Amino acid sequence: MSDPYKILGVKPDANDNEIREAYRKLAAKYHPDVQGQGPLSDIAKTKMSELNEAFDRIMDIRRGSGIPTEEYTQQCHGGNQLFAEIRRQIQLGNLSVADSMLEKIETDRDAEWSFLKGSVCYARGWLNDAYHYFSNATKLNPENSEYRAAFSRMQASKNGNMNGNPDNPYRENPSICGGCSPCDLCTDLICADCCCECLGGDLIPCC
Amino acid sequence: MFGYIRPCKPQMKICDYETYKAVYCGLCKELSRFGFISRFTLSYDFAFLALLHLSVNDGKTNISRQRCMAHMLKKSYCMEHCEELTYAAAMMCISIYHKLSDDKSDEKFAKKIAALGLCGAIKGAYRKAAAMYPETAEKISEYMKLQAEIESEKCTSIDRAAEPSGLITAAILSGIPSCDENTTRILERMGYLLGRYVYITDALDDAEEDYKNKNYNPFLLQENCENCNMDEIRRIASDSVNFTLGELANAYVLLDTKRMKPILDNIIYKGLPVTFNGVVSGEKIKKTIKKQEFERI
Repeated sequence: MSDPYKILGVKPDANDNEIREAYRKLAAKYHPDVQGQGPLSDIAKTKMSELNEAFDRIMDIRRGSGIPTEEYTQQCHGGNQLFAEIRRQIQLGNLSVADSMLEKIETDRDAEWSFLKGSVCYARGWLNDAYHYFSNATKLNPENSEYRAAFSRMQASKNGNMNGNPDNPYRENPSICGGCSPCDLCTDLICADCCCECLGGDLIPCC
Repeated sequence: MFGYIRPCKPQMKICDYETYKAVYCGLCKELSRFGFISRFTLSYDFAFLALLHLSVNDGKTNISRQRCMAHMLKKSYCMEHCEELTYAAAMMCISIYHKLSDDKSDEKFAKKIAALGLCGAIKGAYRKAAAMYPETAEKISEYMKLQAEIESEKCTSIDRAAEPSGLITAAILSGIPSCDENTTRILERMGYLLGRYVYITDALDDAEEDYKNKNYNPFLLQENCENCNMDEIRRIASDSVNFTLGELANAYVLLDTKRMKPILDNIIYKGLPVTFNGVVSGEKIKKTIKKQEFERI
């Protein structure tokens, strides 16, 4: 294995916090929750495990013992045999085989069918159709976390989110990063005043 | 359909901008090696191809000060002949040749005559380029035929209409010589998505004109868009492009870039969205880029 510091993109004399920060940043790029089940997901997974390994090794060297890190585990999928086979074909990259198997199912097009159809479109790069099918799957079965994850990933893209963007539009949006509006300021002051009054003091004398 | 992959200049560091210009300039010089002198078609898209290629290789390259045909009086920085520039220039000759062949079947007489003349001029350059990279040239011709088929059957799906353009760019990026397998796969995916982005942006740009001339345009066949309802068309196009750019970024973060990263970051995260927004607002691209930046400052 190559130099773990190089994989994390830090100098060997970086402190623990810098290493954690570098790990967190890279993990956010490669994590399967972000990357999804596209045609490059295996590369992303390899990168993720390289990163985990590099991080563990550095921590091992520094502490003398390993610390537990978040591990990604493949979810188990239920469903019938045919869908399991279609899933396998998609993972192998045989998209036209998977698609023709899906097209043969004419009745019983449930949430899983929509999700798999969406996955085929997604791998092909037919992203408009993929979004449509993922949204369908989530509507038919809102409980399933896999469908929801695929759908919300595409929704993030739809809102202009780009992986690894140095200035992500999300950061500019105060409602998401928890900023403080003038309204918040007033309500907070009133709250503080109430608390003071309860304890016998007074912060804002006029109310 | 050229010129949609460009940097967002006001957001670049000056050193990055100088490097970008040197690559652009080097590409222009490289084109003359194919016996192709006319410079006007030199486009940003192929400078991006050269940059991407440079970033995955770490061979030696030199930048020197040279005079060029367009600016006889002053010397400017220019990247010297290298494999990356040769590949980009060859792909450019092939693409321009196909575009002109396509224009030959255009209904407008003036455009037809212009295309006929130019096509003859570039044929030699095309032959030379295709002989150097026969596999990629072959694939591109095949997908050009697919494009014509999809247009003639008046395909209503945007995904399918954008596919040939995606496949062509995928062939160009995955044809980049001497890359390992994973890099080639990442480049292929990036190429597909870039081609898709270019197609959608171009189709949006042409929608009104296509409506007037009754030409094929997938957006005019969407629900509620039959009468060229531009608001709805813009909404559909924005969603499609945002999906595409989101996926492009997912592939791009997996690529091991050995150099040129700040320039590639600029093009992918800023240049592409800004260029698209310019097309959405219907203004000249240069003007929008400037305006958006001043608003920000």
